[in-house]
Amino acid sequence: MSRLLKTNKPVEQTLNELLKYLLESKQVSAVFSLRKVNEKGSVDYGLISDINKLDEIAPLHPVMPANAGQLLGRFTPMGKPVVAVVRPCEFRAFVELAKREQGQMDNFLFISYSCSGVFTLKDNAEDKIKGKLNGYWEAAKSSSIPEGVRNVCCSCEQIAPLNSDIFISLIGEENGKIYLNSKKAEKMLEGFEIETEHSEFDPAILTDILKERAAKKKELFSKINTKDSGLDGLIDIFGKCIGCHGCNTVCPICYCTLCDFDSFNYDYNTPIMEKELEEKGALRLPPDTIFFHLGRLSHMSFSCVGCGMCSDVCPATIPVADIFKKTGEETASMFDFIAGRSIDEAIPVMIYKEEEFQELGE
Amino acid sequence: MTEISKKGVLLETKNDIQTSILQFFKDAIEKKIFDAVMLPMKVPSGDSFAWIMIRDAEILKDAQPLAPIMPVNAAKALKRFTRKGKGKFNIAVLMRPCEIRATIELTKLNQVNLEDVTLFSYDCVGALPMQDYIADPITGDKKFNKLLTNKNWSSKDVKPVCKICDKFSLSASDLHFGLNDQELILVSNSEKGEDLINNLNLKAETDLKKWQTYIEDKKKIKTKNKEETFKIVKNMVEGFDNLTETFSNCIGCHNCSSSCPICYCRQCYFDSSVAKPNSDVIMMRAEDRGAVSLPLDRIMFHTGRMAHMSLSCVSCGLCSDACPVNIPVAKIFSFVASQTQKTFDYQAGASAGDALPMKEYKLDELGELGELVKSAEAQEGGNE
Repeated sequence: MSRLLKTNKPVEQTLNELLKYLLESKQVSAVFSLRKVNEKGSVDYGLISDINKLDEIAPLHPVMPANAGQLLGRFTPMGKPVVAVVRPCEFRAFVELAKREQGQMDNFLFISYSCSGVFTLKDNAEDKIKGKLNGYWEAAKSSSIPEGVRNVCCSCEQIAPLNSDIFISLIGEENGKIYLNSKKAEKMLEGFEIETEHSEFDPAILTDILKERAAKKKELFSKINTKDSGLDGLIDIFGKCIGCHGCNTVCPICYCTLCDFDSFNYDYNTPIMEKELEEKGALRLPPDTIFFHLGRLSHMSFSCVGCGMCSDVCPATIPVADIFKKTGEETASMFDFIAGRSIDEAIPVMIYKEEEFQELGE
Repeated sequence: MTEISKKGVLLETKNDIQTSILQFFKDAIEKKIFDAVMLPMKVPSGDSFAWIMIRDAEILKDAQPLAPIMPVNAAKALKRFTRKGKGKFNIAVLMRPCEIRATIELTKLNQVNLEDVTLFSYDCVGALPMQDYIADPITGDKKFNKLLTNKNWSSKDVKPVCKICDKFSLSASDLHFGLNDQELILVSNSEKGEDLINNLNLKAETDLKKWQTYIEDKKKIKTKNKEETFKIVKNMVEGFDNLTETFSNCIGCHNCSSSCPICYCRQCYFDSSVAKPNSDVIMMRAEDRGAVSLPLDRIMFHTGRMAHMSLSCVSCGLCSDACPVNIPVAKIFSFVASQTQKTFDYQAGASAGDALPMKEYKLDELGELGELVKSAEAQEGGNE
């Protein structure tokens, strides 16, 4: 059972008032939100405890400087919760992290929304998005994909995390609607000035956008056909990788403090290198370029939330996110699993079902 | 640096420099002077380059000695082959001068072992920005070939840090390919180099004066560019407000540190669990100022990295190539490095014989700091 906030005010204003109320009434110890930090359009995530500093927030601004799930995974407040405004893929990343004991759901009041996607970090750094913002919000209202958002955003079908404590319906709405989904949210907002009424979010409003995105996804995935192209295909894609491992550093799921591929395990002794050089006639240095990506795919792909951070930071402009999203969806579907859908859904490799993958047994 | 020989070997350049240099290495491999050569090679997709250690002469013909871009600093590639010590192969490596300098620094840091290695360098016209090349490799190749043919040392197309590099010529390598308007000259720069020239029966008969004058001229232009650029960069980073504004787009991906040849730590301090405090500490910091920016300490990461590695910074520019949000990291680090290295009268990678400033204690250095301490102590004493 959900409750809808009864108001005609612009949704961003209501959201700001709601956050202010939560902080002022000491229901939460801090607000976690995206902020604009300067004129040139730089953004960051802020953890804000001073009510006067709430004016700087831009919770719905379509830029993702880091996956908030990753940031919150490093932050599990005790005592009073923190209210966090996050994108659906950030919420799902946190859910996956919580399953790995890298975060506690209870410690947050999560606000999420139907998301139209984010612009690339490069475009934001080059100050190319200011002129696109109006078009972005118009596209959201008219249920279409905005110009210039990340590839993975155009093809994202997991846009409405109805299990967040508060859900804001933005896509297809003239003015957004704010639903309280959990008892926790209702209780915390008992004294809030805006009244509520019983109302369920109707997912039918997302039908058009989901159809458009499904078509985009098909188009995107058809471009990545590593199954048929094999190792040569992988070398074509990842051959220009410089081994900076930025994709893994910004990945919310890759939570290891030291990645295995950066560890001593891959420091080969000179005779091993020389033996390989003799056998093959040549050796790429640093080694293990493709191996790293395959390893990372096998470690985290079923929990990949398709946020697209990896593509945005790749200095060699490899479409990392497109490949990881496709592979992730394929591996997860074998287990009927969707990354971040529910905290109660165990990570596939953490549970053993006697009857699964019998064809492998054969 | 070893005394440079007075004369060099004039190499034939029938077609172009690339072919001549490649031919030199082919001959050396065929004569079994080297067991393997590390050279750049185009990746199969054709839009970037990778470092390949090559033993097979068949594969060697696909190498491209002078690559238009520097996706990985060669020192970093060589590190992965030699870090675990001496092997049985005699290796030749051709690098840009900044890569030689990084290699020398890594040798001092015990990350590269040069026992089996003969280092070759060349007069470098600069590298193109990697992302521009990847976006359009055909134009990139054209641009770079033109640079090489015209010997253009002040091109607008190269990386910002290459435009201001006045250390693009002879470096602490064993042998150096010198370029001037018409000639390609092989210059020996160490005993190892001298021996190799003898082993290959090459005749060092060309006077180096003309080449040296040519390079000195080009250096002067670059030095002037550098001084002008550093004035601008100084304003970008002086004071906390400027520093914050300059790094305001930093997302904390640490690509700059992971692509840096000098940052050799397996795990950067700033990625360790020490740099990830508990929630109560984060909350305390938020409450202290009303808000805290996450990820934490993004400016401190850069100033910390400067403190850790600027004395060894070789200004190769990989950090800028790897930055996803266009922060001019390389120019900034190059400027800071010029200052810190000057303090210790040290030049990163200039010579394997110069000790790392932090590894060496000199009784008489930084005397002015001693004075400061003394006067502070005197003041304290007066207060008591």
